[in-house]
Amino acid sequence: MRLDDKLLEFLRRPLMCIIAAADAAGRPSAGRGVGLHLMEDRGTIEVIFSAWQWPRLEPCIRQTGRIAATFVSPSDYVSFQIKGAATMRDTQAPDLDRADRFMTAATNELESLGVPRRLIAPWLTAREARVAQLEVSETYIQTPGPLAGMLAGARTL
Amino acid sequence: MSLRLSDLSACFEGVIPSIIATASADGMPNVSYLSHVARVDEEHVALSNQFFAKTAANVRANPKVTLILVDGITGDQFLLDIGFVRSVDVGPLFDRIALQLKASSAQIGMSEIMRLRSADIFRVHGIEKVPSPVETALATASRAPVNLPALSEAVKVIERQAEADEIIDSLLSGVRRVLGYGNALVLIRDSHRGCLITTGSIGYERSGLGSEIAGNEGLIGAAATSGQTIKVNDMSRVRRFGEAIGLETEAAENTSRSVSFPQLRTAMSQIAVPLAAGGTVTGVLFIESEERLAFREDDEAVLEILAGQAASALRASEREAAAAEPRQATPEPAATGREIRVAHHRFDDSVFVDGTYIVKGVAGTLLRLMLEWHLSEGRSEFTNREMRLAVGARMPEIKDNLETRLLLLRRRLEEKQAPIKIVRIGRGRVRLETEGPLILNAGRE
Repeated sequence: MRLDDKLLEFLRRPLMCIIAAADAAGRPSAGRGVGLHLMEDRGTIEVIFSAWQWPRLEPCIRQTGRIAATFVSPSDYVSFQIKGAATMRDTQAPDLDRADRFMTAATNELESLGVPRRLIAPWLTAREARVAQLEVSETYIQTPGPLAGMLAGARTL
Repeated sequence: MSLRLSDLSACFEGVIPSIIATASADGMPNVSYLSHVARVDEEHVALSNQFFAKTAANVRANPKVTLILVDGITGDQFLLDIGFVRSVDVGPLFDRIALQLKASSAQIGMSEIMRLRSADIFRVHGIEKVPSPVETALATASRAPVNLPALSEAVKVIERQAEADEIIDSLLSGVRRVLGYGNALVLIRDSHRGCLITTGSIGYERSGLGSEIAGNEGLIGAAATSGQTIKVNDMSRVRRFGEAIGLETEAAENTSRSVSFPQLRTAMSQIAVPLAAGGTVTGVLFIESEERLAFREDDEAVLEILAGQAASALRASEREAAAAEPRQATPEPAATGREIRVAHHRFDDSVFVDGTYIVKGVAGTLLRLMLEWHLSEGRSEFTNREMRLAVGARMPEIKDNLETRLLLLRRRLEEKQAPIKIVRIGRGRVRLETEGPLILNAGRE
């Protein structure tokens, strides 16, 4: 499945990212993504996360080979969830640059929306960065509608 | 040390969204944000069932769920292993969650939200703190525990008071002394007119005594209606509750016949605590702070203790005042001095003294009554009891709050420096003092 231009454009904005994977027993784990890279085939997206901060994610991905990642644009709450088969690949220098750019953009964006920088700092780290390659099979528009609960969820992050 | 849900109280304020991860029966994960997680007890949390359909379906197919909660003060993150137990759509727990959701939606300017249909209850199997790349501000964020001896003393001080004004003042000073909050109001319910009236006030530029909040409006109305404490903790995006009625200037009182509601324009947190005694809500204690996430669980507990004590004391005070016997009335010499013109408007019972708006509603009726008796019988001393008898038929709720109405009247007369004073001369007894002969224009429309 290939991501369309609209989604591609969205993924270039300052974003926050949350990811989930389940273990073999069906127990999900969750964490934050700190970077992404869209492959040229438009059907594969790489998501970077910290294995130091979220140690359960990598074993889950290795066990069951699937992840879900939700990206949200903090300024207007537009969100998309992308799901598919996933494999881990070795982390390389460009991944760390991507993570740096992603975290800087996200921090600046949240700060401009009134979230204090000291609150954001605990959420974003690329320590022991890992890269999961996600072969996109499902995408969902997840922008909150008039449901206040979801709107709150997307507003601050 | 293992973490308990009660250690995570700053995660349940609905300020920083939580994250919920689920997996379908066939193992496909799903992840989304969630605005509000409520702590039910030490082992359970409740999630408002307003999240996406996929999450709801997954939870029912596979009860294993992972949550990430974020401390709204420090930014610390916690990973919770939870399991779906059941869904609730009625009962006290559901009501509490619905109210919290309403408040947290209000804090993002969405108070008129879709009604909560159900809440999902989960058992918490484990809590882990997520490692943080930075030293979080735990030291500055954690506050000294509540000073229990100070609380105990404040409760005793309230309990010792017999009169409504002393009870209300000692409640407000207790709030300041025990918790350090400097902006607080006490509003008394007026069921006759369906509103809450500011009867005590500390910390505001203008006291706002006599200002009113509609019985169902905002945080204060919600606390009065539900009988539950309700708060907002991050007002950076909120229009202030009650704003619409807060904009009149003092000079406009005479034409609008309403007092503007006191405002702390820089407030970031607000809390409304019902004054309840014997299962009846008689008023609301309202506090605001310029600090984000000011009102934590401990504060709520302290405020509920103080408010409950004050409500009981007010009820006892009403009962005792009602029992006071009238004394033999002795006609007094007519006052000399400048004439005082008093106008009473029957349609809203508003009273003006020399053209200055004083008060309306029950308090206005009471002043008219005392002035009429003063003019027809020549006496200046009146009892709570005779006023109850005279007004009770038209305003039956007076039996529960005549003392607080008299208090409001007395304070408004003082605040407006009116040439008429109401002086308390004993339990359930007051004296009318005037600086000159009265001309009462009563019943004017």
